[in-house]
Amino acid sequence: MDLNLIIYALNLAAIYSLMAIGISLLWSSVGMINMAHGATFVVSGYSTFIASGWLVPILKASLAGTAFYTPVLVFSLTSVALLSGAIFGAIIYLIAFLPLHDKPNFAIRSLIATLAINIATVQFLLWSFGPRQKALPKLFGFGRIDFLDFSIRYDQAATIIGTLLLVGFMLLWFRNSRIGLEIRAMMQNPEGAALSGISIRRRALPVMMLTGSLAGMAAILLSQTSFFSPTAGALPLIKGLTIALLGGLGSVAGAMLGALIIGILEVITGEISFLGQRYVLLIQFVFIVIVLIIRPRGLGGLLDETRK
Amino acid sequence: MSIFKLNSDKQITLQAIGQKSREYKLRPKNNSIWQKFRIPMSRRHLLKWRTSYNKKSLIKERRLEDKRPLWWFISLISLAGSIPWLSNFALSAVAIFCIYASINLLWSLTLGTAGIFSLATMAVVGVSGYIAATANVYFGVPWPLIFVIGTIAGLIFGGFLALPSSRLDGLYYALLTLGLAEICRVFISQIHALTPTNGSINNVSSFIPEDWYLQRPGLLLGAASSFVLLLLALLIYRLVNGETLGRKLQVARDDEEFAEAIGINYHSARLKVFLISCAGLGFIGAFYAMYFRSISLGVFSLDQLMLLFAMIVIGGTGRAEGAVVGTAIVILIDRGLFELGPMRIVIIAIVMILVTTYASNGITGIREQFRNFRHRFQTQKRSLITTKGGEIMPEEAIDIHNKQIIYSRRFNSRLRNYLKTLINDEVIAEHKANPVGKHSYELTRLLNYFRKAEVPDKYAVAQIGPLKDSQYKIFAFTGDPEKPPRVVDERVYSSKNEAYHAIFLLRVNDLLES
Repeated sequence: MDLNLIIYALNLAAIYSLMAIGISLLWSSVGMINMAHGATFVVSGYSTFIASGWLVPILKASLAGTAFYTPVLVFSLTSVALLSGAIFGAIIYLIAFLPLHDKPNFAIRSLIATLAINIATVQFLLWSFGPRQKALPKLFGFGRIDFLDFSIRYDQAATIIGTLLLVGFMLLWFRNSRIGLEIRAMMQNPEGAALSGISIRRRALPVMMLTGSLAGMAAILLSQTSFFSPTAGALPLIKGLTIALLGGLGSVAGAMLGALIIGILEVITGEISFLGQRYVLLIQFVFIVIVLIIRPRGLGGLLDETRK
Repeated sequence: MSIFKLNSDKQITLQAIGQKSREYKLRPKNNSIWQKFRIPMSRRHLLKWRTSYNKKSLIKERRLEDKRPLWWFISLISLAGSIPWLSNFALSAVAIFCIYASINLLWSLTLGTAGIFSLATMAVVGVSGYIAATANVYFGVPWPLIFVIGTIAGLIFGGFLALPSSRLDGLYYALLTLGLAEICRVFISQIHALTPTNGSINNVSSFIPEDWYLQRPGLLLGAASSFVLLLLALLIYRLVNGETLGRKLQVARDDEEFAEAIGINYHSARLKVFLISCAGLGFIGAFYAMYFRSISLGVFSLDQLMLLFAMIVIGGTGRAEGAVVGTAIVILIDRGLFELGPMRIVIIAIVMILVTTYASNGITGIREQFRNFRHRFQTQKRSLITTKGGEIMPEEAIDIHNKQIIYSRRFNSRLRNYLKTLINDEVIAEHKANPVGKHSYELTRLLNYFRKAEVPDKYAVAQIGPLKDSQYKIFAFTGDPEKPPRVVDERVYSSKNEAYHAIFLLRVNDLLES
């Protein structure tokens, strides 16, 4: 078996885990399934596209040929993606969380509201940009790193390292900051957190912005290998949701493990000659169903406590 | 005796109070026996007439308790009657409305009656539509039979879907099934045989003859048959939701342990409802393929599913009228504002957000929500009223058997409130000038109230010293025969009238403090 497949699986796992962690985190801390995660994904992809239309000529004029060109471009476009994801997360907070969070049936009603945001955003983008696919500039250039027996494309390496860095920073922030502590309290016991003076109403905003920027990161990383269209958010959303389910909604470790398993499964299915790409989704789905039939709360229960 | 007189044929005029008097009522003859029509093979009546006796006049009257069948009848008849007069564009809109409304009705069975939050509806419709179309196009099965094939395909697919439904609950199952349509879409789009047609199966033979297709008679036939489909879906909804299965699940929804204790196997009832719904969706899938004479991958798109979900959410989940009204609203926006392009879907999404934010169960639930709100509002207002004055609080009132006490307390409190408004400097000056004798209306009211006070703590004037130039002091009765009256204060008044006025001032003070 080709060792590069491991790299490919890790690459997929990185992007899936970004989506799944966002969904999982929001469910465990705020109690809300964010169906607009796909919309966040597409919106940050499009804003990066617009920003690159502005930035690339400027940077080319000033920095072309120097060693600074790639780092500056990567840094600026990544921050645009993260920022637009965070802003869209705040918009979701305003529309789907703030008016609903104290009403009965919040879980289902917020699911419906975020679904509506998803529909509206996709249709709005179709209306303003048209259904044609867009390609984002290749940020990391073309080329490979040869390391031992592995041969890694630049964008694969950047995806894996970028995801690890982002998730690592996130976990560090959760561990060491006051807000992170409060969010962890909300995840463990929402009522207890509320009783000790943590306002879920106030703390939902950073969580939403954080998960939004995770989706933005996933958008910019996935756009390195595939094209972008207004409906491109559907598949990442569905994969993120099912992987979050597999990981046991609410567990970051579970989501990462689930993403890794699904990434490996996808690569293996694609390689087996009588199955091929056609069966990838089907086999993933059947696998997730079997896991969930055996363990209804997913893998997360093995690793830590999940929200009931 | 008067009761019997009124209960005869004589009619009396009643004062119309409240909204009930405006309701339409039948006034049957007193001794007549009513032969109500029953639906054959069942013990059900067509309409829910209920007989009661007017509490005031004791006149027998019949009221229609549930008016929804009338509304259904009127709207369905007007829809059916309008079909021949509609334009071609409107005809296709009516047909699509009927098909989507039928899908939503069967979906409501899963969501509301069975309580399984499944989002796999369009996947079931699409898969059975594809299987039915394949049977017709590639295996030459004649069109009446592919309804059967579609139904069986839906049933089998539903069986697979039901496997995880018993283990996963609520949102978990919804999220699992959400991706199903997308998986089917990707899977079918990669079948090699369908690649030339971009994943769609065309030239499905249909109940609409080929040369009528997209012509006026074909559209009429399509709309009419979709209407029949809607009627069938309504019938299935009624038979499942209103009969044994629905009743069992109703009990389980209220209290699962209780349902289990009285021997209701709600797990199997839930499964049955789910399978019936899936089989019905399979039938609609075959109908869908035949109506369009083709089936394409568009049926699996996430947007399509979300549009259907928007219909159910806007109308209100778990009720037939919600499914149909929601479909009507969304189709009206979708077809009526056709020239707006994608923006009309944005409008639908905005309506959806508004409905979820402000209505707890869609548009058809607004009436109930408003009534709950009004009831709460009225109760709050009433509880505010009863806290005033010396009245009895509702909690206390439950324990008092003699309700007369409650009424008299309430009367006294209102009387006190009124009398307080009568007290002013003029009245006090009038009493000071002339404690005994003829008084003004206000003073008379006050004095009458003071005079009828109960004996405990009632004030009295005591004469001290000799009969001539005697002095007066104010006492208060204890109400206990064994205890002597107590002295209120040590002040001594030189004349009777002065003492009377002092008592008056004390009582006024007490009244104002009460």
